[in-house]
Amino acid sequence: MREKNKKNGDTKDAERQSLDTSVDMAGRASPAEAASLRNAGLLFVVADLLWILQAALIAYALGFLPGFATAQETIGEYARQVLLYPALLAAVGVILIAAIRSVLQARALNASRRIARGIETRTRENLLMSAAKGSPAAPFPSAGAFASHVTEQVELLGPYYRSFGLQSVRLRIVPIAIVLVTAWVSWLAALILLVAGPVIPLFMALIGMRAKSASADQQEELTRLSGALLDRIRGLETLRLFGAVQRTATDMARAGDRFRESTMKVLRIAFLSSTVLELFSALGIAFCAVYVGFSLLGDITIGTWGAPLSFTGGLFVLLLAPEFFAPLRAYAGAYHDRAAGIAAQEKLALIAGEISRSVNSGDLAASERSKSATGFTTPPEISFSDVGLRLGGRQVFLGLNLVVDPGETVFLSGPSGCGKTTVLDCILGFHAPQSGSVLVGGQPICDTAAALRENVMWLGQEPRLFHGTVRHNLLKGLPPTTTVSDDAFWQSLQIAGAADLVRRLPRGLSTQIGEDGFGLSVGEIRRLALARAAMRRDAKLLLADEPTASLDAETAADVIRGLEQLATGRTVLIATHDAEVLQMSGRRFVMTRPERALTEGLPA
Amino acid sequence: MRHVLRIMRDQYRTAPGLFWLGVLVAILPAAAGILLLGVAGWFITAAAIAGLSGVFLNIFVPSAIIRALAIIRTAGRYGERVITHDATFRFLADLRNRVFSAYSDGGTSGQRSGLLLNRLTQDIDALDQIYLRLVVPAGVILVCSFALVLFWASVSRDILLLGLFFLGAWGALTLRSFKRADVKAARRADAAREAMRLRAADMASGRRDLAIYGGLENAALNVLEADRRFADAEETGERRTNQLLKQSSFIGQVFLASILVMCVLGVMTQSLSPALAIGLVLLVLALPELFGQMLPGLSRLPRMTLAAARVKTAQSKNVCIAPDTIEAGPGLAGDKPPVLQFRDVTFRYPGAARTVLDTLSFEVAPGEVVGVAGRSGCGKSTIASLASRLVVPEAGAILVNGFNLQKIDEPDLRRQITVLGQKPYLFNDTIEANLRIAKKDATDDMLWQALEHAALRDRVLENASGLQTVLGEGGLGLSGGERRRLALARALLTRPSLFILDEMTEGLDDVIAADVLQRFLEFKGSAAVLMIAHKRRELDVADRIIRLDQSPHA
Repeated sequence: MREKNKKNGDTKDAERQSLDTSVDMAGRASPAEAASLRNAGLLFVVADLLWILQAALIAYALGFLPGFATAQETIGEYARQVLLYPALLAAVGVILIAAIRSVLQARALNASRRIARGIETRTRENLLMSAAKGSPAAPFPSAGAFASHVTEQVELLGPYYRSFGLQSVRLRIVPIAIVLVTAWVSWLAALILLVAGPVIPLFMALIGMRAKSASADQQEELTRLSGALLDRIRGLETLRLFGAVQRTATDMARAGDRFRESTMKVLRIAFLSSTVLELFSALGIAFCAVYVGFSLLGDITIGTWGAPLSFTGGLFVLLLAPEFFAPLRAYAGAYHDRAAGIAAQEKLALIAGEISRSVNSGDLAASERSKSATGFTTPPEISFSDVGLRLGGRQVFLGLNLVVDPGETVFLSGPSGCGKTTVLDCILGFHAPQSGSVLVGGQPICDTAAALRENVMWLGQEPRLFHGTVRHNLLKGLPPTTTVSDDAFWQSLQIAGAADLVRRLPRGLSTQIGEDGFGLSVGEIRRLALARAAMRRDAKLLLADEPTASLDAETAADVIRGLEQLATGRTVLIATHDAEVLQMSGRRFVMTRPERALTEGLPA
Repeated sequence: MRHVLRIMRDQYRTAPGLFWLGVLVAILPAAAGILLLGVAGWFITAAAIAGLSGVFLNIFVPSAIIRALAIIRTAGRYGERVITHDATFRFLADLRNRVFSAYSDGGTSGQRSGLLLNRLTQDIDALDQIYLRLVVPAGVILVCSFALVLFWASVSRDILLLGLFFLGAWGALTLRSFKRADVKAARRADAAREAMRLRAADMASGRRDLAIYGGLENAALNVLEADRRFADAEETGERRTNQLLKQSSFIGQVFLASILVMCVLGVMTQSLSPALAIGLVLLVLALPELFGQMLPGLSRLPRMTLAAARVKTAQSKNVCIAPDTIEAGPGLAGDKPPVLQFRDVTFRYPGAARTVLDTLSFEVAPGEVVGVAGRSGCGKSTIASLASRLVVPEAGAILVNGFNLQKIDEPDLRRQITVLGQKPYLFNDTIEANLRIAKKDATDDMLWQALEHAALRDRVLENASGLQTVLGEGGLGLSGGERRRLALARALLTRPSLFILDEMTEGLDDVIAADVLQRFLEFKGSAAVLMIAHKRRELDVADRIIRLDQSPHA
């Protein structure tokens, strides 16, 4: 509880300081959520404490048995009054309270589950939404890291909030309450519990500390082992080609055995901590029983407040003892979830920092404001006048002037690193120049870029296709509601020189591509990406970035033919240094690195 | 369910002794826990009666038993954990090996996507729960229940009936959750998680493409949609778990109340002694813990069933796909048959409309260097896959040194042909380990020489760890061209009768490429070479060139 309060305090302070600068991407509970979790925990505690009432009823009903046995009474009205009625009363009471307890417990569990679920979803939402805000031109975490944080790391938060929250509230209240109630009957029994209880965390901590670092290493080792299996299966083709399969299998088996042996060494220590817990809880119950037994015999006379311990009192103490240890054991069980959850939060905070930096270095939102602006119906003019742009401390443009007339084709060329891609990025609104103006169709980019992005033919330098079918990928360029005939797909594929290629795929347009599907070569991906661009027939602007890089001559020729077809009736800007592309009709614009761009206006 | 049972059987066979020992040792702490409360209840009642009536009671035996039970419970718990975990780890290691060999026996159909494999490793890791959370608790519960029934039967018929009734209730609860294990929800959750991962990965690596085609915000919403599906699927399972928990603990409490009344009645009719009666009540108090052991396993049952089914399928689906039998003529007459001969070979991907290769025929004579030219996608690389038996032709025959390719022993074939594929795989391991895949017993000198031939020696020397440098993240970051050269070095450690080189000098600059090519031609000796290339420099060294695009079908 203390910890959570402290965390609450921290978040509140943080909120006051920077209300607008940061959304929580590390998956911490908001004050409201922490309070709800606490309430759920309290419900759980109430359910636990009701056991005290049940135990009292049971002890009350059974308390008459020894007296009855020694009183030598026979069956009759007296026995019924003394024994049966209390027993029936206790039974009914126990069942009623049990019903209440299970309702309370279910509520607590469901509430904490919902809250934990909410935290997971909110964390994902914050991560993804701020990732969507950043400019694609800004640096971003690697795909693998981002994906694993969004899925697995966030998922680790669930068990942490769901189970650990409840158990920590329970641990703070239930044992103390039970000790107090026990002390009311017998202070010595309470003392036995008190001695056995708090010693547990101490021992567990001592053993746990030693096991913890070792088991973290083991976990990494296991991940590596799974990774190695994955790696070997991925490269199975290579292993087969070199006849090394059998050898590799033997190596893997040996590595697995080594891992098992070293893991068991660690676990032998780690299990000691749960054994200590078991030992003290078993001994605590045993000593309570022995103490109660000896008191009832009259061999021990201390431990109570005056009157000797009654049988009912003794039974009550014995019934409570296991419940004193139950929260401790449950807490130990949930402790692992806590460690995993906190580690995940630390990792999430790190990646959140990276994402925020990427958002700060280029914010797409700047151009999202006027999404209402409509696309162009005629080829637009593009003009850069006196544009200056610094990126990451480097001056990319200084006084850049470039005009592309409506319907004109211009080739951007120049040494690598001179900012060809950046020019295209500026038109798309991925960068906001510090000085000068970039106009598309006479309007500043911050007004047009969002609408432009939705209707531009764009072919990137390393185009990416996405997980899904070929058809699904081609449709990406169009508004979600458009219906497209198969002819339209084939036409676009034809333009891009990709029709034959798709016909050869296992399932034609319905072939799955991407990570889980058919592997495509660079040239094939580029032609499909060109087809995707060609699907936007109404677009009046065509942007292409090194469209023929690392392609063989024939494939490059296909792509160039496609570009030529698409260029008619559109304003075209192509970044290239490929002589074949420069053969297309158009004007060449040579850029220089780094400070000053020269307009040479050579007719190509 | 069938698959879960088969996994249990597999684990049993891995180490039958440990399998049973784990269950047996697990009985100790459970039984000791139940007895501890029962004996304690009996003891304090007997003590109370003795205190009241002054009858002598031997107090040392019961109190010693109580302490002994406490110790047994502790020691038993420790032993159980160590033994059951050891048994499970043995089994998982064994399972991993078997999955690997199942994959390696199988064909190289397009099955092996990264996604499927990721899931497979997760599934294997999920299977450790079957023994730990299902088999062991079930064994313990069965044995303890049996002992309880015997004990109750010795006390009285009424107690026995009552006990049987509540044991039956717990049994029914267990059976019902077995029957209702919602594998579909588990599958939905898995699919949603995978969708989430893939879409998130796309969002990081294809940011420009997404911003223009579809919008980044839509992509984010797409991931969140998967998150919602995931939550829905998980919700079902979690609700069920809570339900199970609730029902099980309620059964325990009703049992407690019932046995309370029953025992008091027993004392009234003097068929039970008070001490025994209270012992019986406290025994029942300890039972929920016993039956609760089964709950985590039951709630994870859907996930386990799914994992077991997938691992089993992965194991069975990949048992050797027999290649289609192909009519092949006898090896050619004459003293030296061609190293490689294609006779009217046709190939298409399963389900594709067009063939990739159509009735292709050619041969490569011993020592000859044959170039294969043609535009990308015309089937050049398919020739390499066919010749190395990674794929099987639809029609036609392929002969290696005069023998039908499909009938050559695997080790023989691998000795005769070395392939440098277009996308060679490098393992996340040291440079040395990557090279030794080709030749296990190569000396360090041979490794360095191979690196030298591939123009990579200096690059590796730059690194302090040399051959021991680990490739991949955090290790040696090789560029695409350097990775290809490392794969080339690996190929150069072999001495086959035929090299198939797919785009050998891709990613090398002209000077180095010419050098590497020259060295290779000196190194190859009498081996024949099938040089698949689109660059002039490689085709120029060929004795003869086969042009695939000239075929009217390709």
